[in-house]
Amino acid sequence: MVKNIIKLVLLSFILLMPSCMEWDYGLEESFDMSSSGEGLFICNEGNFQYGNATLSYYDPQSKVVQNEVFYRSNAMKLGDVCQSMVIRDGIGWVVVNNSHVIFAIDINTFKEVGRITNLTSPRYIHFLSDEKAYVTQIWDNRIFIVNPKKLEITGYIDVPNMTMESGSTEQMVQYGKYVYVNCWSYQNRIIKIDTETDKVVDELTVGIQPTSLVMDCNNKLWTVTDGGYEGSPYGHEAPSLYRIDAETFKVEKQFKFDFGDWPSEVQLNGTKDKIYWLNDDVWEMDVNADRVPVRPFLPYNGTLYYGLTVCPHTGDVYVADAVDYVQQGKVYRYSKDKVLLDEFYVGIIPGAFCWK
Amino acid sequence: MKKYILFLTVSLVCNSFLLAQKVSSKEWSTKGFTLKEITVLGERPMKEIGAQLTKFDSVVLKENIALSMADVLTFSSPIFVKSYGRATLSTVSFRGTSPSHTQVTWNGMKINNPMLGMTDFSMIPSYFIDDASLLHGTSSVNETGGGLGGAVKMSTVPAQNEGFGVQYVQGVGSFKTFDEFLRLTYGSEKWQMSTRAVLSSSPNEYEYKNHDKKENIYDEDMNIVGQYYPVENNRSGSYKDFHFLQEVYYNTGKGDRFGFNAWYINSNRELPMLTTDYGEEMDFDNRQREHTFRSILSWDHFRSNWKLSAKGGYINTWMAYDYKRDVGNGNMAHMTRSRSKINTFYGQAESEYFIGKKWLFTANVAVHQHFVESQDKNIILQEGGKGIVGYNKARVELSSSVSAKYRPTDNIGLSFVLREDMYGEDFTPLIPAFFIDEVISKKGNITAKASVSRNFRFPTLNDLYFLPGGNPNLKKESGITYDAGISFAVAKENRYTLNGSLNWFDSYINDWILWLPTTKGFFSPKNIKDVHAYGIETQWDYSVLITQRLKFDLNATYSWTPSINEGEPISAADQSVGKQLPYVPHHSATITGRLSWNSWSFIYKWCYYSERFTMSSNDISLTGRLPEYYMNNITVEKGVSFKFADISIKGSVNNLFDEEYLSVLSRPMPGINFEIFLGITPKF
Repeated sequence: MVKNIIKLVLLSFILLMPSCMEWDYGLEESFDMSSSGEGLFICNEGNFQYGNATLSYYDPQSKVVQNEVFYRSNAMKLGDVCQSMVIRDGIGWVVVNNSHVIFAIDINTFKEVGRITNLTSPRYIHFLSDEKAYVTQIWDNRIFIVNPKKLEITGYIDVPNMTMESGSTEQMVQYGKYVYVNCWSYQNRIIKIDTETDKVVDELTVGIQPTSLVMDCNNKLWTVTDGGYEGSPYGHEAPSLYRIDAETFKVEKQFKFDFGDWPSEVQLNGTKDKIYWLNDDVWEMDVNADRVPVRPFLPYNGTLYYGLTVCPHTGDVYVADAVDYVQQGKVYRYSKDKVLLDEFYVGIIPGAFCWK
Repeated sequence: MKKYILFLTVSLVCNSFLLAQKVSSKEWSTKGFTLKEITVLGERPMKEIGAQLTKFDSVVLKENIALSMADVLTFSSPIFVKSYGRATLSTVSFRGTSPSHTQVTWNGMKINNPMLGMTDFSMIPSYFIDDASLLHGTSSVNETGGGLGGAVKMSTVPAQNEGFGVQYVQGVGSFKTFDEFLRLTYGSEKWQMSTRAVLSSSPNEYEYKNHDKKENIYDEDMNIVGQYYPVENNRSGSYKDFHFLQEVYYNTGKGDRFGFNAWYINSNRELPMLTTDYGEEMDFDNRQREHTFRSILSWDHFRSNWKLSAKGGYINTWMAYDYKRDVGNGNMAHMTRSRSKINTFYGQAESEYFIGKKWLFTANVAVHQHFVESQDKNIILQEGGKGIVGYNKARVELSSSVSAKYRPTDNIGLSFVLREDMYGEDFTPLIPAFFIDEVISKKGNITAKASVSRNFRFPTLNDLYFLPGGNPNLKKESGITYDAGISFAVAKENRYTLNGSLNWFDSYINDWILWLPTTKGFFSPKNIKDVHAYGIETQWDYSVLITQRLKFDLNATYSWTPSINEGEPISAADQSVGKQLPYVPHHSATITGRLSWNSWSFIYKWCYYSERFTMSSNDISLTGRLPEYYMNNITVEKGVSFKFADISIKGSVNNLFDEEYLSVLSRPMPGINFEIFLGITPKF
């Protein structure tokens, strides 16, 4: 009997020994997208704290989408919450919010060429030159100044009347030597930075929580507020779309939405004479219009759109559906005549786009 | 009749008094081993008619002082434990449900966090629990409402010592881990007192190879000339947890027992950085602190055919979450500073009444009154001045039940339970549960069981009121569960015992609450999914006395738990309908073997979880993969008895094969690690 027990124990060992989980190393794939003309990068946020952000690449001509291109090319993860991306001189700068990093990648091979690390909680990057860029943050009252060439943080811009905890600076547009930034979370203003002194020189109060910022062909800034939320100590109001003159830094026009509306994602077309935004439906408006159109560009189809972009070359409109936010999102591509041209699955929570 | 009454008294009223006491090493070597009696016909407690129960052996709970209930559940139950790291948040998925679908009680008082609904089992040292059992699915209705997956019932019991007793255990392990346990006991004919304290701390800097990132090697012009996967330490993972438990029991000897339990927790834990974090560890401080005090006063009044008991309790919890970064010169500024305070008052009354051998009636009413103050964020208001984002709410939670249990013959048992829950001003419909069991064959004690119940779970306070995103319009989740199973038990006196069970369950949960992002950048809960959770659970226990001095025990569990989203598609693009819920494994299994020879014992623990999906569509991506894993732990213990004290020396090896594995994405678990324990029990 004793022998049998010993045999049983030994057998158990043998059975349990080959018990290794395969936490695989990735394999590096080779890509070369240099032959494709236009191309669209899709920043898929992934789930906060799960490190499953991804980058997708879509070729509008061939209608082929490649998902997880950063991982496939570099055999490592992109990180936690991919927030935004911009391209400068063939290099894509991918801002990964909760990984405290901005990756620089070759936009044709998706290979990493460098990274800027130890940022607080980066949201967007704006280039002033090859050796100077601003990086906005959430949960920090400073805008970081970085040297993209040396991949290092070189300084900070302190934003007045903002604590670390309530810090929120977002999208940036430049007019002359000034950079304008919308301050979003528990904020209500657009700030103006002198790029020669790296100081905030002015600010403009708008509605509660301006979410995005673009500049049209007439040098007018456009921002849309979300109006806060019910119960917020900061306030809750009807959101608005604002047109601001960049030169005078004054509100020219305020288009009010209904109380409870949730507009977001102001975008421009290639010629910058039309703006687009989400508010359940997809909306389109001429930048010189005096009122918001009565009917949407694309009516609400039962889902909550999360991302929006317009092709600068063709005017095609791309909208992203994040579905339940824990599965692959889907991007719908419409022509400027509202015809559905294509649809494709990307990564989890497609939130931002970047045109090649 | 006397025997029967004695049995009822023991099993129904003072059941916990029978907890197996750990015999000294001297007794082991001189007296040899005995096998616990198996449950035989006529001795099945009426309170457990038709119920699917898993009881944890005290040996499992008291294996070593470093274990938490998360570890016990991982290696000794079919429950899936989702662990965010060593000594980090550990939640459970019982029968394919979410963490808030498992109700957790401590000495009868519900300890689920009323803000979050779930329980962090890594915060419960198993050495503080003397008696623990799982109530699967419908069976939880016997104990409490809201357990759509089931309930975990934990309690402490009097030590049953005479005179003074002291036990001290010191553990030293890998990653500079130190665990200390002290227990002081005093017992007399009428008094039982116990004081327990556990202190655990570690920088927790275990090493792992980071597969999720690469380090770059640059040339002078900042061109990448090489890359490699770095070997990193678990960053920002230190912890220091202190637990103190005081118990006092007074038994009048005339059928009344009074008890007092007080448990204080002081926890200070860093939150580990993700594998994909490129921040400098020294520049960030991400920390969670908790002070919790739980106390219960109890009175039990026993008579030959009835019992009355009453309890009153209080819980105070203070939790702080701080996320800071260095803004220069070591000056750490808050990125997030959240605080929450919870005060809970608890009262419960319970009675049991036997009519002869065949009938048992029970009635139970429990009330928990919560006061919650949540401060999540400090902001500057539009008009200037400071503002706080948070909520301040109170809610009363009432749960009452009556039951009738009937055993018309020795072979058949019937039980009917009616429960009613009220949260705030919202009542559930009457929750009925019906249980039946029947001994099919006396040979082998083959017993069939079946049960059915409705159940409801109310939204948590965060679901309703959290800012931003709380949704006061949420409906309560509702479910219906069917259970059926068969069990057997055979034994040969002082030779072996073997028992096993096989159960099937089928649950439908409607209006499942999910937190989804909004276009405003925050999450908000909604009633979304209808879920069909079903499957099979099986459990086997085998003990054999090979010789008088050599004993072998084997415990094995396995569960198959499909948990399928059967709701309507959220949009045309939704691929999740008909798919397994994320982070719920299809298969899980555990095996624990123990070989005891004289004063030596050898324990082998093994567990297995199949691949978990991280997407509701069940797509497996390169960045979202959680492969299956197996875990192997061993422990060797030697007891030595001296005139002045009993000494025990124990060595444990965790993750024996040094597996690289993940329970949650981007949160690596430790490789092979060791801990040595030295225990001393002086003799007075």
